[in-house]
Amino acid sequence: MILNTEMQAVLTDCLLDMGVLLIDAGAEISRVEDTLSRMAHAYGAKRADVFALTNYLSATLEFEGGAPLTETRRIMQSGGTDLFRIEKLNELSRECCAAPFSPEDLRARVDKISSGKKPFSFVLGGSILAAGAFAVFFGGSVWDGLAAAALGAMIAVLGERLSRTQVSTVVSDLLLSLITGLCAGLLCHFIPVLLMDKIIIGDIMLLIPGLAMTNAVRNILSGNTISGFIRLCESLIWTGAIAGGFMLALIFTGLLF
Amino acid sequence: MDVKTVVIQLVSAFISSLGFSLLFGMRPKYLAPASFGGLFTWGVYLLCAQIFTGAFMPCFIASAYAVMFAEFLARMLKTPATLFVIPAVIPLVPGSFLYYAMDSAVHGERAAAAEFGTKALVFALGIAAGLSVVTALRELRTRK
Repeated sequence: MILNTEMQAVLTDCLLDMGVLLIDAGAEISRVEDTLSRMAHAYGAKRADVFALTNYLSATLEFEGGAPLTETRRIMQSGGTDLFRIEKLNELSRECCAAPFSPEDLRARVDKISSGKKPFSFVLGGSILAAGAFAVFFGGSVWDGLAAAALGAMIAVLGERLSRTQVSTVVSDLLLSLITGLCAGLLCHFIPVLLMDKIIIGDIMLLIPGLAMTNAVRNILSGNTISGFIRLCESLIWTGAIAGGFMLALIFTGLLF
Repeated sequence: MDVKTVVIQLVSAFISSLGFSLLFGMRPKYLAPASFGGLFTWGVYLLCAQIFTGAFMPCFIASAYAVMFAEFLARMLKTPATLFVIPAVIPLVPGSFLYYAMDSAVHGERAAAAEFGTKALVFALGIAAGLSVVTALRELRTRK
């Protein structure tokens, strides 16, 4: 496909938007770079240098007989995981590499993906199931499971609210774990059959940045050391915030009852 | 460990993997295979825990198994392996040790806090090591 200068600019813009969406959704850095350069080559770029970090993305595309085009993006959100989007984008890039569509069509497809997020009902249902099941997994009774599930639902709703504010992940993790810990303390005080440790463990599992840590290790192994370390440090700090929040809650409930 | 506990753990591992797959927005058609990842991984962990002393080796083997399972599913269903790694690995995440370490720290029991903290770290290292070995092997195989 031969693109005129204007279309080349549209394409570059589109590819970077895709990259930002991928990073936002929690894709591995090497996958992001790989996807974008493959797509650029499919559109006939003779050179495509893509560089991504967890909070930065740049790409320089050079087409036959044209001047190189460079764009960069600063990525503000981070830490969320949206497999639904990763898959959609993956599918789009596969289709596109097999038979490139016009940059305008690509634009429309990317915009469609960026407007559709994973449904909140998935997040809510998933949090309830995971928190409840983990409380039982670690030795709690069915009642502990139900209590953990109820708090899991609260975490999902509060987390969704907090993600729409300016609050950083550290502060939101701290708040969520503090509130959850206090609620668990109250529940156990008024319903003595409940075991506080099992309930909190079930809910801790929801908050621990397991995927971020896993991806950090994978990033480091695939040679993206900087991104890997950024994610690793971030997830350790987040874990610290979660631990801090629950410790505060334990101290408060210890003082109250 | 009696049979009843094992069954409860396996079933709850399945449900928690299902929960996490939903939470991360996995497509409904992949939910069932992804959730079996959690169940199998925990089964592998329990088996290895009978053979080895200490938590590192069982955790390492179970985590390596989880990634291989994820890679296998990814090949079969033609999607990225990352999708299936987390649901499979999640039962190994040491949430309980983290909690008991915090609880001990709050109550001023330093020795217990250090012990639980170390256990949590051993699990985290086991997961990371298992993940690393399989990922490295995969790269050896597919590099052109």
